[in-house]
Amino acid sequence: MPSSPNLVNGAVIASAALAVLGAIQYWGAETAYQRDSPDVYKVAEQSARLADFRAAVPADAILGYLTDVPTESTVGSTMFFAAQYALAPRLLQKTDALDLVLGNFTKPGDYTAIGKQHALRVVRDFGNGIVLFRKEARQ
Amino acid sequence: MGAIASILLSIALGCVLMIRFARLGELRQAPRWSVWFLVLGAGAACGMGLTSCLFFLLHSVPAPVGLILRLMLLAAFSYDCWRRRGNQPVYQPLPRPPYLPFLWIAFALSLLIVTNAMSKAWDANPQGNWDAWSIWNLRAKFLAAGGGLASRAWSPMLNFTHPEYPLLLSGLIASWWTDSGVISDVAPIAAAFVFFLALVLLVTGGIAALRGPTLGLLAGLCLMGIPALLTEASSQYADVPLACFMAGAVLFALLERPILAGVFAGFAAWTKDEGLLFLAVMLVAVAVWKRSALARFCCGAAPCAILALTFKLVIARGTHSIVSGASPLAALFDFGRWEVVAFTMVKEAIGWNIGWYHALLPLMVLALMLRFDARQMRDGLFCAGIACALLLGYFAVYVITPNDLSWQLQTSLTRLFVQVCPVVLIAAFIGMNAPPQPLAPVEPPAKKRKTKR
Repeated sequence: MPSSPNLVNGAVIASAALAVLGAIQYWGAETAYQRDSPDVYKVAEQSARLADFRAAVPADAILGYLTDVPTESTVGSTMFFAAQYALAPRLLQKTDALDLVLGNFTKPGDYTAIGKQHALRVVRDFGNGIVLFRKEARQ
Repeated sequence: MGAIASILLSIALGCVLMIRFARLGELRQAPRWSVWFLVLGAGAACGMGLTSCLFFLLHSVPAPVGLILRLMLLAAFSYDCWRRRGNQPVYQPLPRPPYLPFLWIAFALSLLIVTNAMSKAWDANPQGNWDAWSIWNLRAKFLAAGGGLASRAWSPMLNFTHPEYPLLLSGLIASWWTDSGVISDVAPIAAAFVFFLALVLLVTGGIAALRGPTLGLLAGLCLMGIPALLTEASSQYADVPLACFMAGAVLFALLERPILAGVFAGFAAWTKDEGLLFLAVMLVAVAVWKRSALARFCCGAAPCAILALTFKLVIARGTHSIVSGASPLAALFDFGRWEVVAFTMVKEAIGWNIGWYHALLPLMVLALMLRFDARQMRDGLFCAGIACALLLGYFAVYVITPNDLSWQLQTSLTRLFVQVCPVVLIAAFIGMNAPPQPLAPVEPPAKKRKTKR
């Protein structure tokens, strides 16, 4: 049996009020979180970095991937997946054994020398750590 | 603009199909608004599911075919509904409890607050959270590329981004992108919000139709007071769409609409792997509790179930899955894993709070004062049984998963609870005593005609 009518009315109103307060609590938490952490994984930033590369490489390309960050680390995997998202429908593979290779570097460096270590030559340096490599023809 | 038109087309098509086939107008005891909530909620969810299925099935034909087909279906069924417009049911005005206006204000206020909070999330992170851009929207980009590139959405080369996952959400987003000709953030954000709205409308309308307007509005309010659910909606993950299809399937089974329940369960199977488990659980639950409806449930579920199983077993065969590579027997008898999973699940349930507020608080206040109605035991057990079976299934998968258990629990348990929480909420509201309704005004007896002598 339910409680007395007054208790029932009170419970209905209290429950509704609590749910609204819950929504307000969520609003506060979400607002604070989004203010402090916009684009945590820098996906928009990566898309902008890769815009010229994307325009230069055909949509059906399957690309290798070369970076100066270990791809299993948090930063490395975030960079890889964000690049994959920005470049889709092009496919990225964590290998340097493909004909075309994306260089995605966090620091400026001698990309020609880095490429040579992996039997790759620089096709184009797009700046901002983004380089298109091609596999050296076998002698 | 093109994306918004395509989104509205999907929703309109679903709503027209609901009006034409769901016979919701026959729910005479339900408040009229609850029927419209059901039409809008179920219509939006079904329209989006249908859009996704059509897009996947037609992905190898030129893009406008799917759009033209949807437009033709909308025109045909709209005309059919218009032709039958004379058969509108007559609703009896129901007596209103005194606090109903307060509940409506609270409902509108909650919806406004959570929408505002979600819009802040979408302003700051328009591409959604990790799984949104690395799994669902990424695969939508492959599907939207069309031709031979669509198959990259389930390519084994997509390491660690789950190419084996079913494609309802990705297919829907790809369809909207293809129709509009632009890959923008509007489509995935709209998908997340419309599925959330559909879930709220379905639960509110469904409980109102089954148990009265007060419990209906309170169920909607309680749902909008679950912080984890709201966070997942703004993250653009597939868990809220799955929760929406699960809740829809359970509600339509309770409303004696087994074909529609099957359709929703089928859509769930085409949304996520957990949806396949849900479909199996629903099948057993309907066989046990509603045996006469089993054949119609199977008819409703069959198209999407076949699509999902064909995708998993044929098209995406050979891709990694959460249980592939597992040695189930060894893990199953490692009782240390049982302990870890059970402890983490309990901790998760306790930890659904923001500050002082816990998602269960409004429900507990109601349950304490209204208590449970023994006459609703059967329906309550049906819902609770489904929720328990799902949680047991998730528990078993955690125990045997070959992945690192702590990582797996940490990255997925909240989302699994989000999927099940609307079904738990429905179970609680179905089983509760409805607050007593004021009596309907009694019409004064007709005056006796004086007869002249």
